[in-house]
Amino acid sequence: MSGELWNSPIPPDNMPDQLTEMVKNKYLSTLFIVASSLLPLKGWCGTLLPDTVTTGTEQKIGEVTVTAKRSPVRVSAGVPVQFLSGENMSELGIQNIADAVRRFAGTNVRDYGGIGGLKTVSVRNMGAAHTGVSYDGAPVSNCQGGQIDIGRFSLDNVSMLSLAIGQSEDMLQPARLYASAAVLNIVTATPQFEGNRRSAFEVQMKGGSFGYVSPMVRWWQKVGSRVRTSVDGNFLRADGNYPYTLVNGKYVTRERRSNSAIDSWHGEANVYYDMPGGGDLQVKGYYFYSKRGLPGAVTLYNPISTETLWDKNGFVQAKFRKNFGAKWRFQALGKYNYGWNRDREYGNQFTGGMYQDLHTQHEYYLSASAEYKPLEPLSLALAQDGVVNTLKSTLGECPFPKRYTSLSAFSARWRKGLLTANATLTGTYITENVKQGKAPKDIKRLLPSVSLSVQPWREKMFFVRAMYKSTFRTPSFNDLYYDRLGNRSLRPEKANEYDLGITWSKSFFPAMDYFSVTLDGYYNDVTDKIVAFPTTYAWRMANYGTVHVKGMDITLATAFSLPAGINLALSAAYTWQQARDLTDPDSKNYKAQLPYTPEHSGNVAATVKTPWFTVGYSLVGVGMRYYMSQNIPENEIDGYVEQTLTLGHEFNLKGCRMGLRGEIINLGNEQYDVIKFYPMPGRSWRIVANFKF
Amino acid sequence: MKVNKFLSWCLVLALGFASVACSDDDEPEWNDNGSKVELPYNRMFILNEGSFNQNNAGISFFAPKNDAASISDIFYQQNGMRLGDTGQSMIEYRDNIYVAVYGSNYLAKLNAACVEITRKSFVSDSDLSAGIRYMTAKDGYIYASFYGGIVAKINANTLDVEAKLQTGGANLEGIAIEGNNLYVANSYEKVYNPETDKNVYNYLTDVFVIDLRSFTKKETLTVVKNPNQLVEEEDKLFLISWDYSRESYVLQMIDPKANNSVKELGYATNMAAGNDMLYLVDSRTDYSSKPYVTTNTFSSYDIKSGRLNQTSFLKNAPAELTNASVYMMTVDDETGDIYIGVTHYSDSNGDMYRFKKDGTFVEKFDCGGQNPKAAVFFD
Repeated sequence: MSGELWNSPIPPDNMPDQLTEMVKNKYLSTLFIVASSLLPLKGWCGTLLPDTVTTGTEQKIGEVTVTAKRSPVRVSAGVPVQFLSGENMSELGIQNIADAVRRFAGTNVRDYGGIGGLKTVSVRNMGAAHTGVSYDGAPVSNCQGGQIDIGRFSLDNVSMLSLAIGQSEDMLQPARLYASAAVLNIVTATPQFEGNRRSAFEVQMKGGSFGYVSPMVRWWQKVGSRVRTSVDGNFLRADGNYPYTLVNGKYVTRERRSNSAIDSWHGEANVYYDMPGGGDLQVKGYYFYSKRGLPGAVTLYNPISTETLWDKNGFVQAKFRKNFGAKWRFQALGKYNYGWNRDREYGNQFTGGMYQDLHTQHEYYLSASAEYKPLEPLSLALAQDGVVNTLKSTLGECPFPKRYTSLSAFSARWRKGLLTANATLTGTYITENVKQGKAPKDIKRLLPSVSLSVQPWREKMFFVRAMYKSTFRTPSFNDLYYDRLGNRSLRPEKANEYDLGITWSKSFFPAMDYFSVTLDGYYNDVTDKIVAFPTTYAWRMANYGTVHVKGMDITLATAFSLPAGINLALSAAYTWQQARDLTDPDSKNYKAQLPYTPEHSGNVAATVKTPWFTVGYSLVGVGMRYYMSQNIPENEIDGYVEQTLTLGHEFNLKGCRMGLRGEIINLGNEQYDVIKFYPMPGRSWRIVANFKF
Repeated sequence: MKVNKFLSWCLVLALGFASVACSDDDEPEWNDNGSKVELPYNRMFILNEGSFNQNNAGISFFAPKNDAASISDIFYQQNGMRLGDTGQSMIEYRDNIYVAVYGSNYLAKLNAACVEITRKSFVSDSDLSAGIRYMTAKDGYIYASFYGGIVAKINANTLDVEAKLQTGGANLEGIAIEGNNLYVANSYEKVYNPETDKNVYNYLTDVFVIDLRSFTKKETLTVVKNPNQLVEEEDKLFLISWDYSRESYVLQMIDPKANNSVKELGYATNMAAGNDMLYLVDSRTDYSSKPYVTTNTFSSYDIKSGRLNQTSFLKNAPAELTNASVYMMTVDDETGDIYIGVTHYSDSNGDMYRFKKDGTFVEKFDCGGQNPKAAVFFD
């Protein structure tokens, strides 16, 4: 077999069960086409796929070459799952993970502008703290702030990004991911070797507008027959001083962002061990450092900004998976995470002229999960996590909290014929110790989720799906203990998700690889929202808000294999959403659309691959929003359309593979803000040169 | 007799007409140069603080006699630009408006129609870059407090900073004049100690007394910690300290005639002086049950008699005012009307409740912006 990799038609986490069905299904070939990728992928499947693929009786499939395409959505899933491959992100000129995530239907990315700006993702308006993030299968956490800054993850070594809304169908996952309202999965590239090679290297250099330079090196090495290693490192620096247009009434001026430079380092080392007798072990070490200026919001008439943020994040994680016969699967995961940040600001308002906050977090995480198939249609799984989180802060009233969390998830799946049903019960127990004052009450919660997928006609790739999930978000350390603002009597913020959708996929003619459509209507309610509550002049965190969200997500995707080796892929997503504040019937913002929630948003992407070049084009459009709670014209913020165009070419040079790509970002030079007064860059460019040997 | 009676009536009528005519003639002509809108003689301007980092501070116009439509941001309408970030304070002096914008860090002089005449930015002044806070005025000068501990003496005509006094304080807030003395509150400091690696807020207990003639600090008064709002009325100064360790904020009186003695009068979270009275509100939030409820207790202090009247000075206030977040109170010196500004923070525009001098409710109206902070009257 060649070194080309099999491109999974379905996300790897769910591979065995899906393949079982596929092999049984006489329409196997159709399904391969339907659930196939936008573009052929290299690199990710090797380790994401289990080393055995179940086909009723266990059979080993060796290295195979399949050039089928993958749809960016899952049509057969009981919950909405969307994904983007690393290659596809490159071809579309996607700048960072936040830029990728905003192309998923139903997401709301808050981007505070620039390379170093905070970027968080809220799914279907439940709030960023309800979105779980997993990095190579291990949950990422931030107990201090509650929400994950997805802007700090590098895209350079990401092979797959997926977003599951509700309950992911992988039964062998940590309980914490079961407990999230939505999960963003970041999967990094794993070593792949062509032919008999035992090592592979990659060097990449990116350069672009506003002083952007980012070199990357990668070394993949095979050690013996069962061990593969990888080492990645990248550096990024940018001045970030991009120009923007400031409109202040009749005055329109050209300004420049200041204090927005960034330097960051990111390195990873991985060891993959294919264990004798089956099973695999992955050990990952990760380190990230950044120093970035925080320009803050544009303040009219006052450009002074002196705040700087340093971040250090390191973790070591080990994941072990093994199948025991045809009925048992097992996964164990361990992780230690270290997080540190320093926020410094200068000014006469501080005695001594300077002020800084330092925060240090530690997390110790263990997870074990097992899946058992007592009967052919039935799978049962149990996941148990234990987590310890600590926070040390220089803030005056920091009580040095230590949080102990136990998460349990019991799930069952019934898959027979044209019906797949999933049910999960997640139990959470949280207790905290503090060195000063009284600890918050323990949290004990038992929450269910169910999903159902029905294929009414065996011969048609048409599915009806429904999902309900109940989740909550735990108050963060800041919510509980922040100097003067924190409130130790907070309850968890509760969320309920309901989804009803249809998915359909078909190939209308031989050159069409697939045409898939998904349509989901949804309703969410979030109660006991944790918000800063004004009391006289002091603010205090409180369980106060209630939000009801209803919406509709539509995705379309199609791909064509044309003569002369030309491939064309098109995709589109549209979201309609009403997110209403139902907190106070007497308030002026009662039933008002939540801030930064467009009623209409969507995106379109197209790639054309030819033997000579690859062209990518994408468009992201967001409608009018309000930037404050009251829905009055003064609080409106204009919608925007951002387009990106790329042109790339790969060629062989003396036995090495070289790639060159040019990107024009924000082609229309649209001046827009995602967050009001955090202007985004206008038109910019980037060149990427990649050398593999 | 009839002729006399007729003449008497003629005299009365003539005097009446004359008095009306005189009244019109005596009314000062406001400087409305550059105004794009016709404004009535009686005017109220409300400074809406806006929300931090949102550049949505503004000044709204309201006609106290209801003889013109309200304008939600007359500053924007007249000047074609936004007021900026965090409207901090606003005073009327010599028929002009002076507005201090903290985040944008400038002082602007506006005419009676809210048209900007001149402005002074402090952004590039290293002494004043931490931000302007509150103002008072006397003898052609604006005196402004700044974060960073400076009081600036600013020419009210040109807005040139003619002198800066480093008080030795940290972050200054309320400022008021009585006689030839300037009183300014030194509220808190934010300190990072590299040796202990700790950040602390230190709440300070100073009111500085500055001799206006020499523009030097001559005395430091010790008050309840975290002094903030400071007003002068009837030769006395009234101060509210935001002492978070007490059951509520603490109202104090400074008596310049008694050697600047400081006396606690009770608890209040906001106040307004006028009609020889000090109007008070004490807002307290009950954390014992959820949802948290804030309850306002209105009272008054008769400055001349020195008597605190715990009975509300409001007679038929709308019920919702009891639990509203009172953000400002002010009194129209001419009419004696009392205005109470309520905030909904960043959720929505604030509301203003208007009462007659005797406490009778007159009306409620939208402030046209968020967080009503101050108001000035032209009447």
